[in-house]
Amino acid sequence: MNKFYTKKGKLLFALPGLLLFSVFVIYPMIPQILISFQSHNGAEALGYVGWNNYTNLFQSNVFGKVHRNTYFIVGCSLLIALPVSLLLALLLERASAGVRTVFKFGALFPSVLSVTVIGKMWAGIYDADWGMLNSILRGIGMEQLTRSWLTNADTVVPCIAAAFLWQYIGLNCILFYAGIKAIPEQYYEAAIIDGAGFWRASICITIPLLQDIIKYVVIISTLGSMGMYAHILVMTAGGPGDASRSVLYQMYYKAFSMSQFGEGCAIAVIFIIECIIVSIIINKCIAKEPIQY
Amino acid sequence: MKQRLWLKILLCVIGVGFLYPMLWMILTSLKEKSEFYVNPFGLPKVWDLGNFSEALASLDILKYSFNSIIYTFFTCLITLFFGSMLAYCITRMNFRYARQVTLYMSVGLVIPIQVVMIPLYMMIMDMGLKGSRFSLVFPYSAFQMASTVLMLSAFLSTLPKELEEAAAIDGCNVYQAFFRIIFHIIKPAVLTRGMFIFISVWNEFAIAQVLGNSEKLRPIPVALQNFFLSVGVSDWGLIGAAVVMTSFPLVLIYCIGNRQIENALTAGAVLK
Repeated sequence: MNKFYTKKGKLLFALPGLLLFSVFVIYPMIPQILISFQSHNGAEALGYVGWNNYTNLFQSNVFGKVHRNTYFIVGCSLLIALPVSLLLALLLERASAGVRTVFKFGALFPSVLSVTVIGKMWAGIYDADWGMLNSILRGIGMEQLTRSWLTNADTVVPCIAAAFLWQYIGLNCILFYAGIKAIPEQYYEAAIIDGAGFWRASICITIPLLQDIIKYVVIISTLGSMGMYAHILVMTAGGPGDASRSVLYQMYYKAFSMSQFGEGCAIAVIFIIECIIVSIIINKCIAKEPIQY
Repeated sequence: MKQRLWLKILLCVIGVGFLYPMLWMILTSLKEKSEFYVNPFGLPKVWDLGNFSEALASLDILKYSFNSIIYTFFTCLITLFFGSMLAYCITRMNFRYARQVTLYMSVGLVIPIQVVMIPLYMMIMDMGLKGSRFSLVFPYSAFQMASTVLMLSAFLSTLPKELEEAAAIDGCNVYQAFFRIIFHIIKPAVLTRGMFIFISVWNEFAIAQVLGNSEKLRPIPVALQNFFLSVGVSDWGLIGAAVVMTSFPLVLIYCIGNRQIENALTAGAVLK
């Protein structure tokens, strides 16, 4: 078959894709690193400044705050959204076909909406005067809890996190459900004969067998929440003040609002390193042999 | 299996809960401006289309939809065409560097597209692509390439070797074997992937906000954000009308192709 797969053929098949990927995904990281050591206003470089951009970052309070915000959202998606969507998927498996159709239709719906629409709908929910949240609170007589959710520095980050997680919880749930469906019946038959109920069967059989898909969801939710920035831009533009900025929003803000492209690139370089470390940690923690049924 | 009533109700309520904000937007958009402030949640007393005509007057939906269509169409085309070729090369052509290329491509899964937007912005300026629609199509294609190649490779490696052997015996060269035989076999996987790319590019905001934020280039999500900035924060009827109109195409597709969209969104889970 060596004559069939010619050298020229291999090149022709591999090159266009590789080239496109290299030029627009891998290559930009090189100027990214170079600019992070320069003072740069977006149009021209104003000379090398050594590690200044980095030391500026580590000395500023904002840099710590944007990390707290970002990892708060990562924490929410791993500790709240992930267990909730797993539980919903387990319950969904027990429901009838009709209920399942209704639930699935709703759950995947936010995945086809754009972030602009999601952001604005949730801004409506949080609206101080006519929003759904405050109206409900007033309705059940808890007037003292109403507030302007998105302009209050204490509540703004959890509020954005809720909107962000709402968009992906349904998708995660359907992913888990697809995984559950792939588990062969006979595992459960054995469990039912042994008298295992819903919780026992779920914890002892379903969840261990779902490992692969749990790992996948952990990876996409962690990296997805780390890279979140559009929701913030649409809902609060980082405000009030700098209260709700994430790492990438800070990068965007430094570069495109303050014209400090050097510092923006330094943030990006640190962030890429974080992404790589986090994905190595996840792989080390949950990486096991793929499950064969 | 015994179906409990509370389970039924709980799941249906949650399912409808995901739809409720959009439903609220639809109802709001149909109310007269003054009615919203006294009756934010109920059905409109007077069904009024004024918000829609007002939104249409300042938001050129046709033009922005056209932009979005161009971006999604060309991204799908480029990614699926070159992506399936690359996947074919690394799985079936006895390619010596297959492992390294797979590892290299998986970098694209770890790095979110937004991270490189600063150098990407400068590159686009330097390459003279600024103001061209390809300034968005190329980065989109490149970023969709990673997951597309990995997913199609997983699919291609399950096909039997005999396919090409038979093709070779019948006198096909590798190009004919790929385009006439293999491509038809992987078509379902390619279409599933295409659906996924379509949804993600249609809704992409982060890069479009930076590279395509001029009157001529804006896709729908960015145009909508600009519209929101110009109408202020409390004209919910107008906001609702714009949300409903711009979401309509995808919601329609979602209602028709619900099953396909579910497949497209869950197919990515085969990547590990």
